[in-house]
Amino acid sequence: MGVLQYVAKRVGLYFAVLFIGLTITFLLPRLMPANPIDGYIGQIQARASGALTADDIVQLRANLEQLYGLKGDLFSQYVSYLERVVLHFDFGPSFTYYPQPVSQMIFNALPWTLGLLLIATLVAWLLGNMVGLVAGYFHTKKAATILEVVGILLYPIPYYILAISVILLLAYIFPIFPLSPTFPVGQMTPQKFGMVIYNSLLPALTLVLAGFGWNILSMKALAVATTEEPYVTYARLKGASNWTRMVRYVFRNAMLPQVTALALSLGTVFNGALLTEMLFSYPGVGLIMRTAASGGDYNVLYGAIAISIIAVATAGLVIDLIYPLLDPRIRHK
Amino acid sequence: MIKLNDLKISYRIGNRVIEAVNGVTLTIPDGSIVGIAGESGCGKSTLMKAIYGDIQSPMSLSGGSIEYGMKGADGRAVTTETIRREWFKSISYIPQSSMNSLNPVIRIRDQFTDFPGTDSNKKRVLERARAYIGKLGLPAEAMDSYPHQLSGGMRQRVMIALATFFQPELIIADEPTTALDVVVQKEILLLLMEVQELMGNTILVVSHDMGVHYQVTHKMLIMYAGRVVEYGDTESVFADPQHAYTKMLIDSLPTIGDDSMRGVLASMAGAGGDRAYRVEPELIEVKPGHFMARPSVGVAA
Repeated sequence: MGVLQYVAKRVGLYFAVLFIGLTITFLLPRLMPANPIDGYIGQIQARASGALTADDIVQLRANLEQLYGLKGDLFSQYVSYLERVVLHFDFGPSFTYYPQPVSQMIFNALPWTLGLLLIATLVAWLLGNMVGLVAGYFHTKKAATILEVVGILLYPIPYYILAISVILLLAYIFPIFPLSPTFPVGQMTPQKFGMVIYNSLLPALTLVLAGFGWNILSMKALAVATTEEPYVTYARLKGASNWTRMVRYVFRNAMLPQVTALALSLGTVFNGALLTEMLFSYPGVGLIMRTAASGGDYNVLYGAIAISIIAVATAGLVIDLIYPLLDPRIRHK
Repeated sequence: MIKLNDLKISYRIGNRVIEAVNGVTLTIPDGSIVGIAGESGCGKSTLMKAIYGDIQSPMSLSGGSIEYGMKGADGRAVTTETIRREWFKSISYIPQSSMNSLNPVIRIRDQFTDFPGTDSNKKRVLERARAYIGKLGLPAEAMDSYPHQLSGGMRQRVMIALATFFQPELIIADEPTTALDVVVQKEILLLLMEVQELMGNTILVVSHDMGVHYQVTHKMLIMYAGRVVEYGDTESVFADPQHAYTKMLIDSLPTIGDDSMRGVLASMAGAGGDRAYRVEPELIEVKPGHFMARPSVGVAA
């Protein structure tokens, strides 16, 4: 199979996944028995202390349906939805923060979430795999089992307990980091950037600790199995050094499933964002999602779900494109 | 010349000690192909590991010694302690599982240079290796391939190229053709013989296949229960086997057109297959250069 053909196939698949995901995002809320417009009208009526007349309500309903793309039959709604989302990435205005457009809210929050979670996930992956590799490669040595214990201890701790413990320890008992982080708004300056880094260290630390344990255990198991492979034994009998065997023989082979796992966890960073951003009042997509869910802000939820779908699909695409570079058995069929 | 003096190798499993090689004394002359046969668990592979110097827990050298008759870089005689420094310099190894003894994600050429070897100039090594694999019937592109792009026979040729490229004095081949079909098997064995004739080094070949031994080897070593039962020139051993176990091994080779073999094989599976032999450690020379374990205690059953 040619390189172009391979890439074309993956990209085609990518768009198919996006299309199906966006369609489901469109259909799912419409299958719900509750009508959001009724909910909004009820809220507005309550704020206006029941001053709205029946005519006003009809007018309001028409305006809202227009605004939120709920006009006409299901099919014409779907066509206009796809047109707005695909061509303009327009999810309409937020209800809670009317008239701020949803896309703008998401784009403002996106760099925060991606910056924090991508870096934390990558660092956890790198550190976890390095520790796991050493623990697995030297699994017959007593000292190496201590490394594995780190993973066994960290992995089962639920994230919220881990995060709260870290906050208690490093922000309250030893106030190294701020208890309630503040994040500057507006134009970035070097000074503000430093502040962002300082305030992000604690949430990043909790994320690294949480992801670290799994990576250690997983890599350790893979490395132990790979160490027993005949090609590693042969390399030893050739007189290849420990370093060569560990890195070029064990790691290069054991990392392949770990790369897939990394891609999958990168795709789901927005799930991870939810708890972290709530605990640290971090102004990312997770926080927006939570506010939207509790306030019944449907458009914002659509936008956030759509961005999650795009993230997972993109992570999958990137890994499909990178994988052949790492595994020649896929590159040269 | 390699001399084994009352060599004893044991495995420690928990509190138990198992003698896998139990007092082997022999002399392997330079420039010969020596075949080693015997049933699974008789100590063939353990003996090969010990000679190669790959002695690590739970395996240990519990008695005797190996004299390699080689000198290391420091001019001192190579011993079991220093043989590791000679790996892929003056002693090399062709593994049992050639099909997956090459790293699947690294090109063949990089697997020619990722160990200390005799020459640290990688470019020069590669140039010579490229020329060398051509002589072994491999296309030059094989160097730039990944293992999965080569057939089983080609991979085994690569293993032989790796093992012989540095012109070692001793090559240990542990069932080098087990995973190959008979045609490729023959090609590989002929190649091994050719290389040996050219370089005049010593090759120890472990195999279960008595046909292979007959075709390839100059000398035969038959092992049973950690001991040598017979050792001599291949022709002499095959023509006139002395020990009951050797006889059974050779008899188990079917002959084309010989219908009586059917009966022999069937009866061996029933009775002889379970036969236990008692073997004494001392060898007696029955003919010049043809040794066997003391016959007085030949068959126990």
